[in-house]
Amino acid sequence: MKKFLAVLLSALCLATLLAGCNKKETTENTSVQAVSSEEEKFVFKHGFDLDYPPYSYINDDGEVGGFDVELCQAVCEYYGWEYQAVPFNWDAKDAELNAGNCDCIWSGFTRNGREDDYTWSISYSDNTQMIMVADDSDIKTLADLTGKVVGVQTATSAYELLQDEEGQKKLCDTFASLEVFDTYTVAFSSLKAGGIDAIAIDVTSGNFLMSETPGYHFLEETLGSEQYAIGFRKGDTELCEKINAALKALVEDGTYAEIGAKYPEIEPFLCLKPEE
Amino acid sequence: MEKTVLRMTNIEKHFDDLEVLKDINLTVNNGEVVSIIGPSGSGKSTLLRCATFLEKIDGGEIVYLDKTAAKTRVLSDGVRKKVEYAGKSEMKEIKKCFGLVFQQFNLFPHLSVLRNVMDGPVEVLKRNRKEVEQEARELLDKMGLADKADTYPCNLSGGQQQRVAIARALAMKPEVLFFDEPTSALDPELTIEVLKIIRKLAEEKMTMVIVTHEMSFAEGVSNRVIFMDGGVIVEEGDPKEVFGNPKQERTKQFLKSYTE
Amino acid sequence: MTFSTMLRTMSSGMLRTLLLFILTLAGSIPLGMIVVFLKKSKIRPISWLTKIYIAIMRGTPLMLQLLVWYFGPYYVLGMKITSGYKFIALLIGFIMNYAAYFAEIYRSGIESMPVGQYEAAEILGYSRIRTFFKIILPQVVKRILPAVTNEVITLVKDTSLASALAYQEVFSLAKQISASQTSFLPFVVAGVFYFVANYVVAIVMGRIEKSMQYYK
Repeated sequence: MKKFLAVLLSALCLATLLAGCNKKETTENTSVQAVSSEEEKFVFKHGFDLDYPPYSYINDDGEVGGFDVELCQAVCEYYGWEYQAVPFNWDAKDAELNAGNCDCIWSGFTRNGREDDYTWSISYSDNTQMIMVADDSDIKTLADLTGKVVGVQTATSAYELLQDEEGQKKLCDTFASLEVFDTYTVAFSSLKAGGIDAIAIDVTSGNFLMSETPGYHFLEETLGSEQYAIGFRKGDTELCEKINAALKALVEDGTYAEIGAKYPEIEPFLCLKPEE
Repeated sequence: MEKTVLRMTNIEKHFDDLEVLKDINLTVNNGEVVSIIGPSGSGKSTLLRCATFLEKIDGGEIVYLDKTAAKTRVLSDGVRKKVEYAGKSEMKEIKKCFGLVFQQFNLFPHLSVLRNVMDGPVEVLKRNRKEVEQEARELLDKMGLADKADTYPCNLSGGQQQRVAIARALAMKPEVLFFDEPTSALDPELTIEVLKIIRKLAEEKMTMVIVTHEMSFAEGVSNRVIFMDGGVIVEEGDPKEVFGNPKQERTKQFLKSYTE
Repeated sequence: MTFSTMLRTMSSGMLRTLLLFILTLAGSIPLGMIVVFLKKSKIRPISWLTKIYIAIMRGTPLMLQLLVWYFGPYYVLGMKITSGYKFIALLIGFIMNYAAYFAEIYRSGIESMPVGQYEAAEILGYSRIRTFFKIILPQVVKRILPAVTNEVITLVKDTSLASALAYQEVFSLAKQISASQTSFLPFVVAGVFYFVANYVVAIVMGRIEKSMQYYK
């Protein structure tokens, strides 16, 4: 029940929070103008999904947080830019990006399979797609999934992997059905309630869900792996290169690792290392 | 002696604190035409609605033929009264004794004229459909509406609708037919055609109780006239007496207001 | 993905949308009638409970209701649900919600009937049941038809809320295909589908309305 309430409450909070965010931003904007009126501060608009922990989500303090948010804020600080959060509906991410409402999609965003759709930054994190089941489940291997109901979040890499002929489409065809949820939170509720038998999920998101609710584990076999990077509008190489440079600098000065240490689910998958 | 169709005794009715009927007695004999006249608010329509059970009485007795529909019992404290109506199946039988023609016709708009007339006998009296249809067509013919059988009420004038309503009531073959201001919603020229029908029924010795504002019609058609005011029967008697030589001051005043 | 593949994929969603739509109507239209009777019941607790039910159904978002029907058995009663329960939960959620709205429409129609119709039927000796079904209901149907048409059209669009329970109706599929193909086209297809479906609804309801125009 607690978890369920949490889902509902977070949904309710979202609206008020967003309203609050906007207000804050406007006041910040005016103060910035007052301080540096001669030089217009560049506003970097960070587009992300608020429902994708631990990369971007509403944290325990009720504020916008997550690994990607903090890393992006560090990049802005590095350049002296103003950081602007643009939470969007994951389904509408391309429309938001192309309309210029945000400068990038930076939200645990998988580049694999989308290589040609965006201008990509360097990859900053690896991830693996796994199958998550209850500890008392009789599903031990991927083959056991035959005839089972598997849940997944819409428009995630796990979902796309299961739809990809060259990915795990064949495995997906053995399922009784693939249930596509709007969020992993609802999918996880459904797994707990018994509505589905397993969840196809990337390991960081899965770890995040399991960190709060014991009694679930990943199968040993993996579905596939992927790299997370930042997606820019196609051809926006100038901005992309700037971010790449900042990322490298943050890796060198240890900020990247420092932020990573706050997110134990992500830390093992961070793929950028300082040069010797 | 003529048999008594309806006997209402000591009828009392009030709406909240307002006494509408005070100790009313009304007897209607077979073949009699009784007109009830009086100013609006005098209780004459309420009396009719009590007689037809659309309103419940608060005291008194209602008897149709030999069947008691409602009677009043004094409670053990000797002051309060309780009106008891007959049981469901008994009431069903009693209700077959009378018909009512409304001021606003109240035809069923979604049924054809013929079905408006036929539905009661077929659905309630469970009579043979063919037989009923023949009777219904005869009734409509008598009302001068033979060619309107298959049309719908909305295509008829008010006078025609009221004649259908009379046919509908007659199709149930009631012992007594009540009219509640049957021409009040009609234009003068349409009034005439309805009154003509009622006169025809009177000639056929149909027992009728008519609440009306048509004074000369009431005088011409009735065997007895009742003048009501303030919830009581002020004067009652032969129409020639009541209209020509009223005994009561209130009756005189009321009739005077009509002739002016 | 070719356009024909997209259409083929989405057509399964269209069928699911139509299935949910038809079953919801088939359940909620008669249930709404029962709700009206319960609300008009002379037994106080029954009419009272019915009022609360209508208030909740109309006062909370349908999507939330769907989540409650689906997860309620587990979170409230501790019962394990099965995958087959999802569609049942959807049907319960939609039917209960729409029955409340239909009930209010019916009520407004019934209350708009002139008392003279009841009185005429009573004088003719009609039983209460016969009065309702033969005299009142046919006229109420005519009166409420425009409001019902509105509600039915809303239902066609509301079926997209079923995506909250991962029901693969046409709008969920459109979102999923749109995201994976980085294309807006699936939404256009879904939009055309809803429009056509509602156009058919409008035509059918228009026919029914017309068939009742023989009287005023």
